[in-house]
Amino acid sequence: MKASVYIIFALLFLGCAHGNQAVVADGPGAEWNPPVFLTAAGVAPSAFESLLRPGVLHSEKDSGKEQAETGDEYLEDVPAGDDEYAEEFKGEEEEEITIADPLEPLNRAMFHFNDRLYFWVLKPVAEGYNKVVPEDARISVRNFFSNLAYPIRLASCLLQADFRGAATETGRFVVNTVWGIGGLLDPASGKDLDLKMQNVDLGQTLGTYGVGHGVYIVWPFIGPSSPRDSVDIVGGYFLYPVYYLEPWYAAWGARAYESVNDTSLRIGDYESLKEAAIDPYIALRNAYAQYRRKLVESRGKTDEPPPGGVRAGAEGIINPGMPAPRRMQISWELAPEAEVNRVARMPASDTASGKEKRP
Amino acid sequence: MRTIAVFAAVLSALSCFGTAVAGGMFGPPQPVSRDAGGLHTAVGYIHYADIFKDGADHVIRQNHIYSQAGYGAHDRWEIYGRVSMSDLRISDAFRSANDAAVPSRSDFEDRWKFFGTLGGKGYYPFGSCLGMGIFVQASYAFGDFKDGVSGTLNGAPFATELKLKDIWDINFGIGLQWTVPRGVRLYAGPFAYYAEAKASPSPAVRGLALASEDVLIRNKTSAGGFAGVDIPIGKGFRLNLETRYSERFSLGSAIVFVY
Repeated sequence: MKASVYIIFALLFLGCAHGNQAVVADGPGAEWNPPVFLTAAGVAPSAFESLLRPGVLHSEKDSGKEQAETGDEYLEDVPAGDDEYAEEFKGEEEEEITIADPLEPLNRAMFHFNDRLYFWVLKPVAEGYNKVVPEDARISVRNFFSNLAYPIRLASCLLQADFRGAATETGRFVVNTVWGIGGLLDPASGKDLDLKMQNVDLGQTLGTYGVGHGVYIVWPFIGPSSPRDSVDIVGGYFLYPVYYLEPWYAAWGARAYESVNDTSLRIGDYESLKEAAIDPYIALRNAYAQYRRKLVESRGKTDEPPPGGVRAGAEGIINPGMPAPRRMQISWELAPEAEVNRVARMPASDTASGKEKRP
Repeated sequence: MRTIAVFAAVLSALSCFGTAVAGGMFGPPQPVSRDAGGLHTAVGYIHYADIFKDGADHVIRQNHIYSQAGYGAHDRWEIYGRVSMSDLRISDAFRSANDAAVPSRSDFEDRWKFFGTLGGKGYYPFGSCLGMGIFVQASYAFGDFKDGVSGTLNGAPFATELKLKDIWDINFGIGLQWTVPRGVRLYAGPFAYYAEAKASPSPAVRGLALASEDVLIRNKTSAGGFAGVDIPIGKGFRLNLETRYSERFSLGSAIVFVY
């Protein structure tokens, strides 16, 4: 029995079900198809290559070449240099981001589990909670938990040698704890102080040191992740004070409440994205890869908005069951809902690449 | 008119509620909240001293730290609530009134207990610099202060615990404010107050000041004066320093953040 389980996991890890492919986020203008598996001259890269080179950029141009080599009749009619959009797309094509997904069957199962969990449990509870508790109070609760996550952000800033960020976080924590009534309010983000929350986490920290994603993983209850970003889950367990509550069910109860509260503030975002995508699993995976990539790239630009124009709601969309405050900027000046919804309404391919669809 | 009605209702509620000895500072008469209406929060500390009596005088001292949240508007009115912690020391609480009882010590001491405070104020300006305001503030201790003492009574050993419960106070005052350059507000005025607490020993020991029977202790004087300065220190913060006098001096400071 044990041996069969090991074999199944080994096969999944090696990607037996779909070969050893890197999956590409579809570029702008591309039609949505089931996942496109790029292979060089029909030879699939090994799973290990995918593991070692996660986030490899595959341009549409490259894929075009490959398709031409395999006899694509439409591409054969268009000489490579005559494509009027080729130059225009060139810059954007380089933004396409991939993440290896050899565990796709298992990940899809986890995705559906999380999806059902969201629609059958989390959302109904959050909707009921939404009706009982005013929005201002729910935002205050979110601020409170976000303030508690200060150790995670501080550790991330210090590990990134971002001492200015660490000082900002410390200032925020002091101000919000003392004058924000234990973190329920967020005076630090106001115009006067302008101490913005550092959009950092431990997975991103590893990313800044050049550690790749590894394979795509969908954790039950948590959502999209990767071995690298799973470090944030583990680190959060030790650095998030809520986990130190006794008895153990008080800690998990608090986390569940945090999750419900957070979900109540973004009901509809995940649904919008899901409705807009032909394959929500792919859409989320691409959005996740894009988002995390941009998050890593954004370090050192703390004054700029979070990556891809996707702000507070994005993490929620990507991880519908994952409370945002541990990672995301939460303040009274949240990203406008319209922005989140705009991203969510975009075709999944555009959402994944973080670009608007061309008119 | 509606605002006045709300304010009157709040004041009435406060009057009925009653709250603590040393509920914190009174603050400047003029609300610190933004003119258009808004929140403010504060943290403060006050060393409070007074004399209570139950026949004999007892000096009460408290170190009081508090966190405040308030709302006000139109530069006219403001309401606020505080959660605070305070210790308590009462001098000569176990003092022996005769030679029969010999306690091991005479002062009552206990550590931090929670207090709650509600307050409201109204302000009327007489010009750009001068103005007058009234306030009411009341506090209540959520916990009982306890301390035990042992000793001998007619040669036999004894041990008793004194519990101070239902500690509350209410303050009412009128303040005159003068705004000087750089937005610094100077203020002063008289205030009246009432405070009481129930002292309950278990068991009662004859001859010990507050531990001989259940007694109600009250403030010895019902009026006093206060004065303070409120200084804007930038980035939305204000520093408030205040002193008050009634039988003993009390001194406090707070840092206020205006949203």
